[in-house]
Amino acid sequence: MTVGEVVKKLGLAVVAGQGGLDREATAGMAMDLLSNAMGQAIAGAVWVTQQVHQNIVAVASLEDLAAIVIAGGARPDPDTVQKADDEAIPLLTTPLSTFEVAGRLYQLGLRG
Amino acid sequence: MSLRAYVADLHVHTLLSPCGDLLMSPRNVVATAAEAGVDILAITDHNAGDNVAAAISAAVGYPLTVLPGMEVETREEVHILALFGKMRQFRQWEEVVRQHLSPLANDDDRFGIQAIVDADDNLVGVRRERLIAPLTASIEQVVVTVNRLGGMCVAAHVDKAQHSIIGQLGFVPPGLALAAVEVSRLNNPQTVKLPGTGGLPRITSSDAHYTDDLRWGSKTEFLLAGPTLAEIRQALAGENGRKILGYRLDHRVRGPAVSGGLLGGCLDGAG
Repeated sequence: MTVGEVVKKLGLAVVAGQGGLDREATAGMAMDLLSNAMGQAIAGAVWVTQQVHQNIVAVASLEDLAAIVIAGGARPDPDTVQKADDEAIPLLTTPLSTFEVAGRLYQLGLRG
Repeated sequence: MSLRAYVADLHVHTLLSPCGDLLMSPRNVVATAAEAGVDILAITDHNAGDNVAAAISAAVGYPLTVLPGMEVETREEVHILALFGKMRQFRQWEEVVRQHLSPLANDDDRFGIQAIVDADDNLVGVRRERLIAPLTASIEQVVVTVNRLGGMCVAAHVDKAQHSIIGQLGFVPPGLALAAVEVSRLNNPQTVKLPGTGGLPRITSSDAHYTDDLRWGSKTEFLLAGPTLAEIRQALAGENGRKILGYRLDHRVRGPAVSGGLLGGCLDGAG
């Protein structure tokens, strides 16, 4: 399943990083502490978080994640959007809660 | 100009802070710090500065200089020490903080009364807002604004998991203009490994919420020409002969467990 398909199935908004929508999403992860995200990252994962800071893109790039979902209606910082475009990492937003997004990703077959 | 050693504790709370002990009145904080050999003391309550002026007044007659400061919690839940050299600049910063405070009210039973007192320990007011909560301002906004107003930023207790820039953001974001990072009393700044902090200079301080923390807690020794923020800034940058001389570590760390930090429903390390 590609990131683009995940976007359609969950009704996510693509804020940045369109260039990465064809990437295969192979796993899921959900956490807000970036130290934690770096410690438990899975390459190819869709990462659900509440963080909006530019470091989320750096972590996603470093750990080769497929996409970032910012849940709970939070909006990414302008720096974050710019960096996600630069790195072609899809930055996706939704009013759904972290719990809800993680549950739906799981239903789609993604595992942690 | 002659340089000499100054002992600095740049992270100290008063009873205004949630979880700050009632004995931590500005008058008592100043007296205890002076007794502990502190030359430069920064008052850094959570998201507020209402007790700074009282501490400056209380310090008259002591061989100790009080710097205005604040432990700011950014939107990312990162704690940043904002330190200033002048009250006029600090007042401007307080105004910025007021505009970015959490809309929640304090839970007095859980976090204690957020008391404003004068230099003689008289209660003059209470802050009702929940000061132990993130501001709506991002870490970049906080650091840029503090620097623009003439202040200086230090990332607080970077070796802790809670509320530290490393825990929350993984590493210091490129371009963030911090003057230093602070190592908590639990570690030795000379030996602790701090991946993600780059080459930033290290200080250590007591993060005192109790008078015992203030007495025994960690401190940083600087070589300076005088007890000012401008001098400390030069020491951190290693300029004009000013420098960090060394660290006085918390005497209690390697002995019995560190006391304090827990009060009723307070979170340990609310620091």
